[in-house]
Amino acid sequence: MKVMDSFRIVWRNLWRMKLRTALTSVGVMIGTAAIVAMIALSLGLKENAVKSLENFGNLTEMDVEPMYYIPEEDRVIPDDERKKLNFEAVQELKKIPGIAAVMPVKRLQEQAKLKVGRREGYVELIGVDVNESAAYRKNDVEKGTYLSGSPQEVVIAYDVPREMRDVEKEKREARRSNVDARKNGPSAMPPPDMGGGAPTALNLVDKAATIVLSREYRVDDEPKYEKKEMRVRVVGQLQKSDNQRYSTAVYVPISVVKELNDWVNRGRGDEMAEGSTRRTREEAKQDHFEFDQLTVKVESREKVESVVKALKEKGYEVWSPARELETINKFFFVIQLVLGGIAAISLLVATIGIVNTMIMSILERTKEIGIMKVIGATVLNIRWLFLMESGFIGLIGGLTGLGLAWGAVEVVNYFGSAGGLMDNLNMGYGRGAEGEAAAKLAVIPGWLALFAIGFSFVIGLLAGIFPAIRASRLSALQAIRSE
Amino acid sequence: MKNAAGELTVTGVNHSYGTGKIKVPVLFDINLHISKGEFVALCGSSGSGKSTLLNLLAGLTKPDEGSVMVSGEEISRYSENELCLFRRKSMGFIFQSYNLLPNLTALENVELPLIFAGESVRKRRARAQEILEHVGLTGRLDHKPNELSGGQQQRVSIARALVNQPSIILADEPTGNLDSKTEQEILTLMRQMNKENKTTFIIVTHEQEVAEQSDRVIYLQDGRVVQKRTRPA
Repeated sequence: MKVMDSFRIVWRNLWRMKLRTALTSVGVMIGTAAIVAMIALSLGLKENAVKSLENFGNLTEMDVEPMYYIPEEDRVIPDDERKKLNFEAVQELKKIPGIAAVMPVKRLQEQAKLKVGRREGYVELIGVDVNESAAYRKNDVEKGTYLSGSPQEVVIAYDVPREMRDVEKEKREARRSNVDARKNGPSAMPPPDMGGGAPTALNLVDKAATIVLSREYRVDDEPKYEKKEMRVRVVGQLQKSDNQRYSTAVYVPISVVKELNDWVNRGRGDEMAEGSTRRTREEAKQDHFEFDQLTVKVESREKVESVVKALKEKGYEVWSPARELETINKFFFVIQLVLGGIAAISLLVATIGIVNTMIMSILERTKEIGIMKVIGATVLNIRWLFLMESGFIGLIGGLTGLGLAWGAVEVVNYFGSAGGLMDNLNMGYGRGAEGEAAAKLAVIPGWLALFAIGFSFVIGLLAGIFPAIRASRLSALQAIRSE
Repeated sequence: MKNAAGELTVTGVNHSYGTGKIKVPVLFDINLHISKGEFVALCGSSGSGKSTLLNLLAGLTKPDEGSVMVSGEEISRYSENELCLFRRKSMGFIFQSYNLLPNLTALENVELPLIFAGESVRKRRARAQEILEHVGLTGRLDHKPNELSGGQQQRVSIARALVNQPSIILADEPTGNLDSKTEQEILTLMRQMNKENKTTFIIVTHEQEVAEQSDRVIYLQDGRVVQKRTRPA
């Protein structure tokens, strides 16, 4: 028998007893809808919890620091046992499966000033390993390009141009407004520019800029100041980030920061040491060079948990909202289990319903089964027909149940977002960046839909096993004689 | 002894109904040989065991003792599934109550054996149509059994039995539900098919007309063959 022919026969049989097919399917429909809706709800809630975590920063990126304290053992790790964020650490982290890149960072210890034309602003100079970070930071570049490795190139954070002021102009305007104020009285005074800086951000990309930094040192207890200027070119600007920590960052190759840090530190307490011992000191520094921070990029969100675990085992502390992922996953796994379990009971009842319907229909069709056997249907043919029939009842229930669940999810999402329920459930972290799609209370991902359909079909098949065997065992002779 | 297609040999068959201690013997020491292309009537009064013998020949029942050879195969040893396959390719059945599937049209009923045999839609439709026209049902192809008369239903059932081109047709009181005019028509049709295709026909009946038109009549009484009469040529 050809498969398509068997489907045709099965469909005809189901259609012949439409009402019974429909009623039996309703059981499966309700069960499937309940399971899908429950899982969709818990998935949606989890998604929201994860999203509110993401408001703190990208979950696949985390900052790694040495562990100082082991809570399980209530023990502070002494200095010499503590991990150092050196080149060795970078190599060690790279070996952890799931880590795509390790991006070391070294900050300039002093604040620096970035000057472009007449505008200037205080920035934080951050040294990055260009080779390691290029692949991931490239996607964050909004304008221009990322660093290529040349020491004269810098990439600025989104807010840098917005923080820059034309100092000279402001001074002039301040003077003028003072004059005006004296002339017209305080009421006519224009409101001061509270935002500080130009109202519209100017484009700094592809402009020449100067990084200015100064250091203070003492000679014979007398403070002295020295200024250093570095000519650079702004090659790119990153897109807006939710992470306030890096809002005024200017990224440069790590070697530049190393050099500038050396310059800043020179003469601080060890100005006497300059000269003969300086060479060896520099060498020593090279050996014990430590980064301020290692940023680890994880391949995907699914691997975050295992990476966090591996990092902790190796003695690192992870500072990332991803730390909470594990708790969230555990919590929602339990929720899914409980909700899914409750819904599964209704599906079990539906399964028994299918078995019942199938046995009834075998009783009704005993004679038909006998005829089919006599005119050439094999035992397998009969089993297949009844298995498929019961599988189809499950499938119909699954498809309609999925539709029902989808409708329910739409309704829940509609009222959930309209009633501001989402805001309450957002754990008080507030909404994400503007332009982000409205958060959903429940989601049905593709896998869940496919799972629901497949599962209901399998349920139908399982329910059909016993009736199918029973049908195939009917004696053709007795079956034909029955009326 | 080896049989050719369409031949049947029954050797030393004893059969009884019931299980355990209470057994009702039905057939005693049956020995029969039916040649290819024969048109045989199986006669006898009610309870003589003729239907049981037919069921043994069809493989629907297994004999307690003895062997049933059909077309060279000892079907009394076959498993259920082997029997199904065997019936599919070499046997056709005609019943007193026609046993058509009520929700299928005449054409679909005739197609059914070919569907189980895995024939393609185009081929089986053409074949079913051809044979239905051959049994005189042109224009009735899309009628359901309840829209057909008894004689027409029996024609559909004959067409269904023949569609696989089996070597043997087993018929259980094929004219039992029909009036005498229709009975004659059906009988003529069966004889025609028997002659055209050299198909062996074994017909259980207690109608005198059927017996008279057969090549041979086998009489059963209380489970024994009492008389084999060959029609005078």
